[in-house]
Amino acid sequence: MTTMTDLRSYIGEVLLTEDQIQSRVEELGAQISADYEGRALTLVSVLKGSLPFMADLMRAISRPLRIDLMEVSSYGGATTESSGLVRILKDLSSTIEGEDVLIVEDIIDTGLTLNYLVRYLRGKKPASLRICTLLDKPARRLVEIDVDYTGFTIPDQFVVGYGLDYGELYRNLRFVGVLRPEVYSTAE
Amino acid sequence: MFAHASEAEMSRILEFYGVAWRYEPTTFPILWNLDGDVVESFSPDFYLPEFDLYLEMTTLKQSLVRKKNRKLRRLRELYPDIRIKLFYARDFRAMMLKYGRLGLAQSLSGTLGQLGPADRVAVDPETSGGGGTNLATAASATTGQEAAVPSRRRQRSAARAERRDGGVPA
Repeated sequence: MTTMTDLRSYIGEVLLTEDQIQSRVEELGAQISADYEGRALTLVSVLKGSLPFMADLMRAISRPLRIDLMEVSSYGGATTESSGLVRILKDLSSTIEGEDVLIVEDIIDTGLTLNYLVRYLRGKKPASLRICTLLDKPARRLVEIDVDYTGFTIPDQFVVGYGLDYGELYRNLRFVGVLRPEVYSTAE
Repeated sequence: MFAHASEAEMSRILEFYGVAWRYEPTTFPILWNLDGDVVESFSPDFYLPEFDLYLEMTTLKQSLVRKKNRKLRRLRELYPDIRIKLFYARDFRAMMLKYGRLGLAQSLSGTLGQLGPADRVAVDPETSGGGGTNLATAASATTGQEAAVPSRRRQRSAARAERRDGGVPA
């Protein structure tokens, strides 16, 4: 059985410490609080990776807000094979029409998922739609996305922790680390 | 028709995320002889109209990547307004890792990923949300066929020769 000690041993480098993350989340929260003063803000988190970021960010925002959760299928997943198209695995619980919506993402790399989500959410006629991501990996960008709030711009490395997974593990690490290449090389 | 399995896989990924695409819709002349005839051209693999972006897949070995980089530099010199992104083998591998398909990346990369005539994936750019539609599932059985397949470079050389001879451009 894999232990947390095992998981930590598979991390080659700690890219962002817990303190660095928390400090930046506080800054983002303060900035978002100022930008949305007097407005009805709804945070939309994209499961599952953004869950820790969402939990910390919402508490760093000093404005009344609503939260909602979405989950979409990822390419290559078991649920995607039949249709060949993105499926909404969990849709919004409430309407966002007329609301100021902020998408909360864990990481943006190709931008494909986010591009899909932005189009989908725009169809629900929010008053505004912005994007906040903890991590941005621009080297991997395939489609251009305007990101309004970025926690950290990171190099082109496979990272896990603080919500980010490999094979559904590592999400509960308090830091963001670079996974040793031998972990995924030998897994295939 | 895709020349390489990685291109077919990319088309499925774009299709999955609802990104409209065209396969090799434009050929850009990049070199002319003294008579003004085109002797070298470049056809980026994909065009994403929503983003006005060309995408070139380069999952081949390094020596061929250098050649493609040279053509890309030439393209950018001649057509500075064209937005084009080169997608290297490492980019493709990272994408496959993200989607839990790293094992597949190996079989879709390099010469192993070149598609034979029987495996080619037809594209109907007029259907399916403005993007192409793959009409066959070729990517899963694409290894070991490079010897039977004329390379894209050779195909294009033939096309150039055909154009020089007054034939119909490929």
